[in-house]
Amino acid sequence: MEEDEFLGEKTFQHYCAEFIKHSQQIGDGWEWRTSKDCSDGYMCKIHFQIKNGTVVSYPGTSTHVQTCLPMEEALELPLDDSEVTEATAATEVIKYEYHVLYSCSYQVPVLYFRASFLDGRPFSLKDIWEGVHECYKTRLQQGPWDTITQQEHPILGQPFFVLHPCKTNEFMTPVLKNSRKINSTWTCLCFHLFPRNVNYITSWLSIVGPVVGLNLPLSYARAASQNE
Amino acid sequence: MWCGPGLTSNFLRVGARGISGAPVDILLKAVGDTPIMKTKKWAVERTRTIQGLIDFIKKFLKLVASEQLFIYVNQSFAPSPDQEVGTLYECFGSDGKLVLHYCKSQAWG
Repeated sequence: MEEDEFLGEKTFQHYCAEFIKHSQQIGDGWEWRTSKDCSDGYMCKIHFQIKNGTVVSYPGTSTHVQTCLPMEEALELPLDDSEVTEATAATEVIKYEYHVLYSCSYQVPVLYFRASFLDGRPFSLKDIWEGVHECYKTRLQQGPWDTITQQEHPILGQPFFVLHPCKTNEFMTPVLKNSRKINSTWTCLCFHLFPRNVNYITSWLSIVGPVVGLNLPLSYARAASQNE
Repeated sequence: MWCGPGLTSNFLRVGARGISGAPVDILLKAVGDTPIMKTKKWAVERTRTIQGLIDFIKKFLKLVASEQLFIYVNQSFAPSPDQEVGTLYECFGSDGKLVLHYCKSQAWG
């Protein structure tokens, strides 16, 4: 049995910082937020989607427009602060939030997510899944989705859907071990060796994100392999 | 539609690479204890998606429905399921081929 690749909290924060650096470069909208006492923090992304499929990001997150279908690069159009492209009625706009937190008990990142209409009405899990890529729908029907639960956000104290972290090590360990075998340059973070060209958060999010409607542009893959 | 296993001679189609429509050469590498494909080199049409590739490998390896298969570029990044192989080749291909790692997992089961 292979030894699991656990992620320490400092290492988690390091990888999040690298991830956000790239996000800022491409205007992907991820930010770091800290709790009131600044003892911990998490990554956060908000995007808005109109039910017919067009995604609009509001100023304050990122000011570019991208389609909701996964694309390798976001379509960048200059957006006036007061403009909302092709909005129909306010009730048709859905706000999606994705938060990446650290789980001390599992020593892995955890994905919290929720969606709501602009008037605050929450979007159900079923509604979220309707926006998920076709190919994941068969996976959803296979029932691991008893591993999506609704829980209180540890920092905000509000209800979010959570992708349970208990299986994270199972799919992350082979990937990290394989990458370690291939790469001879390592970086030492908090007394733990990680292959230099792998960002744990990027890898992890690229795997779990699409299942809940979050797709990472391909440039994250290139950024991860260029990290110092 | 699969062009079939890429035999060594197929790699000598100098000049065909880079022309849109021409298939790309893919090298599949197993990760962890995922079964190794007998044929690792494949010529794949550019518009084939990652999901199409996943379905193909799952069938080839005779994986059961509850087993998930993930494909990675740059060893550790999982592209979106409808990402096209041609695009991935443009971004991550080198020496005339695209190396993809694949890994099975019971993770969602």
